[in-house]
Amino acid sequence: MEILQGFMDAVKGIFESSGLQTLNWQNYVMIGVSIVLLYLAIKKQYEPLLLLPIAFGMLLVNLYPQIMAAPQTELLTKAECLARDISLSGHATTVIDNVTYYENPTYGGLLYYLYQGVKLGIYPPLIFLGIGCMTDFGPLISNPKSLILGAAAQIGIFVTFTGAIFLGFTEAEAGAIGIIGGADGPTAIYVTTKLAPHLLGSIAIAAYSYMALVPIIQPPIMKALTTKKERSVVMEQLRPVSKLEKIMFPIIVVIVIAIFLPDAAPLVGMLMLGNLFKESGVVERLAKTAQNELMNIITIFLGTTVGATASGQNFLTFSTIKIIVLGLIAFCMGTAFGLLFGKLMYKFTGGKVNPLIGSAGVSAVPMAARVSQKVGQQENPGNFLLMHAMGPNVAGVIGSAVAAGVLLNVVG
Amino acid sequence: MNLSNVAFLAHTAELSLADKGITSAKVVLTGFIIVFLMLILLIFIIKIYSSIVTAVQNAGTKSKKKNVKQDQTITKTEVTAAPVIASETQTLEDGVSDEVVAVISAAVATMYGSPSKARIKSIKKSSNGGRSAWANAGVLDNTRPF
Repeated sequence: MEILQGFMDAVKGIFESSGLQTLNWQNYVMIGVSIVLLYLAIKKQYEPLLLLPIAFGMLLVNLYPQIMAAPQTELLTKAECLARDISLSGHATTVIDNVTYYENPTYGGLLYYLYQGVKLGIYPPLIFLGIGCMTDFGPLISNPKSLILGAAAQIGIFVTFTGAIFLGFTEAEAGAIGIIGGADGPTAIYVTTKLAPHLLGSIAIAAYSYMALVPIIQPPIMKALTTKKERSVVMEQLRPVSKLEKIMFPIIVVIVIAIFLPDAAPLVGMLMLGNLFKESGVVERLAKTAQNELMNIITIFLGTTVGATASGQNFLTFSTIKIIVLGLIAFCMGTAFGLLFGKLMYKFTGGKVNPLIGSAGVSAVPMAARVSQKVGQQENPGNFLLMHAMGPNVAGVIGSAVAAGVLLNVVG
Repeated sequence: MNLSNVAFLAHTAELSLADKGITSAKVVLTGFIIVFLMLILLIFIIKIYSSIVTAVQNAGTKSKKKNVKQDQTITKTEVTAAPVIASETQTLEDGVSDEVVAVISAAVATMYGSPSKARIKSIKKSSNGGRSAWANAGVLDNTRPF
């Protein structure tokens, strides 16, 4: 009889702690959302490298919210400790009002600890290190004017900031939402963790979704804002860039940006360190590690824990819908301003610049440059804009990091 | 949500429409001007150092050429890009076939347009053990979200 009672108690205990008892409807909705995202990642291959860990992190946190729980310390009196069969030795004590309390720590969930890399702003700069190793700034050095296009495409960030303020977001939140327009995942995460960490899930998911949708979002805007004649411009071949110039570039850029805008230094600094690994040619092993193993490890941690911030209670709010709409506006504005400045350059250079390369100023490397190439080739199959578009494209990465520095400084 | 966010929330709740306008105008103006100034500054710096590097390297090549002519010890025959002249004395590594020379010369000729602008002095296999162009394309393709 005693055995049966013990068995019944154990089953009851397991049932009470199970998800069936503890989860609420928001968690179930989010489990559905994460399964849809997993489907999109696996079947449709929408940014699977990020979407898959994000969706799975989302699934895990909604099945078992404690996986993101922060560590806590209970203060127990001696009597409470004895009642709960907790040994008194080995516990730190605190005296409050002449009563001695024993500190009884409970540990956080697995993803809580991995999330510290996001929360403390460690992962995004490390991702930038890997990106730096993979980026060729050659097209930008041979045509520095493309930095203008990289700057123009950041205007969307600040315009969206205005929209977010008027929709009732705080300054800090509006800054984090606006940065979606920079179309740069690590930058968006970095800024959001500093300015509005409670919005991280919505902002990261919006940013990565729109980056995946670049080939769908950009072409209609590009066609609407340019004429057939402008789209058909064949640009002059870029001059070759010497190795010395490529080696000097990261050093000079980091000096200039870190001196004038220290808030952008972590992102730009790591990007340029990675680039120097690549261009110097003397630390090949480091370059390989930064762009392969290190970047893959960080991507796993970053994706899973960013997904895990999207618990039902956090994510299923009206703010998320507003963020998704504002993010789309930010993205479209960035593309549009890049194109409009491309048109200006077309005018000023007497038709030597194809305005289509302007839309590549929204980072999203190298997807946005590919879109410029593709739309250009639709008008003139013999036109190869890819390398010309890579200039504004990598300039966009620097531009969004600078814009991030400005936002952190002004509203942070 | 931490305390500073709560404070911010309370702060914006009090903002009037005019205040919101002023706040956003302030951020838009600052952001717009600083981002452009920084990148324009970079344009000038890149242009300046590029021209210095090019000038220094050109000077270096010229003095080298002079020395070679004076000593009459020309070991490398300069091959003009177009039309391609691959002479026997050209510095070529083992395993670089004439077809490869032709392809490289054609590519150089296309890049520079005019035959007078470019000369191929030697063709060496890269000792750089890094990824090939195709492998790089593969990596870029697989890491598109960044």
